[in-house]
Amino acid sequence: MAKQFKSLHPTKFYRDYLNQDIRPDGRLVSKFRPVIINIGSIATADGSALVRIGKTTVICGIKAELCPPKPEKPNEGFLICNVELPPLCSSKFRPGPPSDLAQITTRFVADLILNSGCINLKDLCIVKEKLVWCLYADIICLDHDGCIIDACLLVLLTALKTVRLPVVQYDAAIDKKTIDASVKKCLNIYNTPVSTTYAMFEDKIITDPTTEEEEISSGLLTVVVKDKELCSIHKPGGSPLSEEKLYECINETVNHADLLITLINTAVSECNDDNKNC
Amino acid sequence: MNLCEAEKTFILHGVEENFRVDGRERSQYRPMELETNVVAHAFGSSRLRLANTDVLVAVKIETDVPSVDQPDEGKIEFFVDCSANATPDFEGRGGEELATEIANSLTSAYRSTKAFNLSKLCILKGRKCWKLYVDILLLECGGNLYDAVSLAVKAALWNTDIPRVLAVNLDGNNVEMEVSDNIHECVKLDIVPAPVMVTISKIGEQCVVDPSAAEEQCATASMVVAVSQDRFTTVLQSGSGSLHPSTLRESLKLGLEIGSKLDQALIEVLKQKPAKKQIGFLM
Amino acid sequence: MPTDNKRIAGPEDSISYRLFKETSNESVLSKINNLKNNIRSDGRKTNEQRKIFLKCGVVSQAKGSAYFEVDNTKLIVSVYDPREIPKKTDYSLKGELFCIFKYAPFSCPNRRGHQQDAEEKQHSAIMKRALESAVCRHEFPNFQVDVYVLVLENDGSALSGAITAAGIALAQAGIPMYDTITSATLAIQGSTKLLDPTLEEEALCTIATHKSDTETGYDSHGIIVLAILSTHEQISEFYQLGNLNLDTLNESISILMNATKEIVPLVEKCLVDYVNKTFKANGQS
Repeated sequence: MAKQFKSLHPTKFYRDYLNQDIRPDGRLVSKFRPVIINIGSIATADGSALVRIGKTTVICGIKAELCPPKPEKPNEGFLICNVELPPLCSSKFRPGPPSDLAQITTRFVADLILNSGCINLKDLCIVKEKLVWCLYADIICLDHDGCIIDACLLVLLTALKTVRLPVVQYDAAIDKKTIDASVKKCLNIYNTPVSTTYAMFEDKIITDPTTEEEEISSGLLTVVVKDKELCSIHKPGGSPLSEEKLYECINETVNHADLLITLINTAVSECNDDNKNC
Repeated sequence: MNLCEAEKTFILHGVEENFRVDGRERSQYRPMELETNVVAHAFGSSRLRLANTDVLVAVKIETDVPSVDQPDEGKIEFFVDCSANATPDFEGRGGEELATEIANSLTSAYRSTKAFNLSKLCILKGRKCWKLYVDILLLECGGNLYDAVSLAVKAALWNTDIPRVLAVNLDGNNVEMEVSDNIHECVKLDIVPAPVMVTISKIGEQCVVDPSAAEEQCATASMVVAVSQDRFTTVLQSGSGSLHPSTLRESLKLGLEIGSKLDQALIEVLKQKPAKKQIGFLM
Repeated sequence: MPTDNKRIAGPEDSISYRLFKETSNESVLSKINNLKNNIRSDGRKTNEQRKIFLKCGVVSQAKGSAYFEVDNTKLIVSVYDPREIPKKTDYSLKGELFCIFKYAPFSCPNRRGHQQDAEEKQHSAIMKRALESAVCRHEFPNFQVDVYVLVLENDGSALSGAITAAGIALAQAGIPMYDTITSATLAIQGSTKLLDPTLEEEALCTIATHKSDTETGYDSHGIIVLAILSTHEQISEFYQLGNLNLDTLNESISILMNATKEIVPLVEKCLVDYVNKTFKANGQS
């Protein structure tokens, strides 16, 4: 019976639940879903991670390649990150060019990584004006159940922390590159921006919404923090939000960020224990 | 073209009796007509008519940079174009799927170094190579496209003249090459081992070769076998349908037998290429 | 190449650093010789498959999904509800399968593009042919069922794994099927036939080598993928590459028939486990 009611009156169904201060999946309004981080699962990538937030699953693999730098920035490498929402992850997406949501997420994540300064592109320089690293970070969603930006950011940062680059010797005179794969170096990550998403439903703010909740909500809000400071806010339209409520969300994110960062660091340090040569 | 049940039964019975609708036996081909050197501005070309199937192939050659994985090999690329004249189904993007399937099967068939040696197409290791573009135009579809296309491609490649390279100089990072001025001074490729494809269709309980368009509709499954000098370079199924292992073995055997005969016949025809016609002044 | 302005493109001329690693030609030959002497780098017997891990119901949004893992080959398949065939003018009596096979950009030693390349398109076509004979297509006329495959990491035999996994995903999605479909890969170098090859073995088996140092004739080499509907003993797809003679092919068919039959109990167990689990979950609620 509940199933039929849900498909006929999704909003009313949901409102009834929220009036009892509980959500259909049994969570409280301000409760986060469990997060699982798995690292180094892809051997063909130079750094990789898998993140699950509830049912949302994203995987990120980083491939390192060599290339000459741009003439206007001779001592900077590249970090190219793309978010892919393939038709595999949800029936909302169709085969073909990336959907609008994929493009928006790609842009948001890419800008955030550059602006937050968590990675210094100058670290990726091997020989000025001649040779730099180009890191291709491809984030692929395997199961789309809400909060895609949070998952993408989390997986990207974790994957970046697992990247190991071999040492390159470059002889500019004869354009010869030699790779010493026995010694591998980590990348310096200067800070860890993490985000949480909120959905607005009538007068309530719902934390960490699922796809269903995102769809019936009147607006979304993503808050990004790093080092206990606000880093970015992404609110693509939707119903207005009072200043008070916004502060509440930011505080909640700051509190939750500690947990996420500890989680990343635990996962990464376990990996580092395994291969000490780093 | 859609057949009704009665027509299908008729074809089926014919195949069973080893006397097909057009009077052929099960392992018999329809008459073929092959013409080479038909496109003046191509490096090599051929046109093949197999009953109602009509295929035109032209080979173009360009210089390219070898791929990083295979620095001492040239490249070959197949492109199939389904003309909307061939059948109304090809209008718009209708023929695209079939076109990629045929192009892919050719790529697989020519992949083995033994069937087609790409290293002959290398000019300077890692720097310059020849790239062959094999363009295949389907003018009319009368069944058995794979066989017709593979024969036409082999004939066109046989006919292909590759310019003779006289000298290669390395000037800094630029490769300079000198090509013979004499247009008759060309290099021929070794095309003898190039694969020939045979389609075997299972109609009723029997396997037939060279199915016509009507027979293709009655087939429960079809195998395409690419044969190069008594060996298989590619085997794949065309269309959906499944078959029993014993049928598979049977059709492989039949395919090999027919393929070798077909290959021999083709090479014989190609070898007795008419002497260059002397086209005199004002003739 | 048209520029893709819907993604962030990298610099044009970046190349993988793996190309500059010191590899000698000799090592490739010695590896091939090892293979010819039936020695595999991971110590398996020639007719031994790697341990398969199968799980279905991994994508919550999909109607049916499956995860397939053998050592380092990892792939995920999802199947969605039938939908009307887009851009179709005439009525088709039989439903269609729409397959997309894609390697993740980071799944292979060299980086792959975001768009399907020729190999991926060919694999999609092979999957479509293999699966279509397993599905009762007359049950959903004028509709198509989407099957998406994403290879997360490729260490050989990805295509056959994808076909097996797709069979499970289709079954879990409740698409009517005639039979379970299983598939296996065989790589051949000389007289050695390697079941379930790794990526390295696959690469070595596409190289034509001389029979011995003194002879000039080439040896057999190639790769075969076979998919089978086991109860009906019907081969739904047979795909071969390389250069092989008839006897080798006939032997290979027997080896592959046995190998695909070995996988059937795993597929059945995976589906039964899933059904049991769903029953229990429903019983509780």
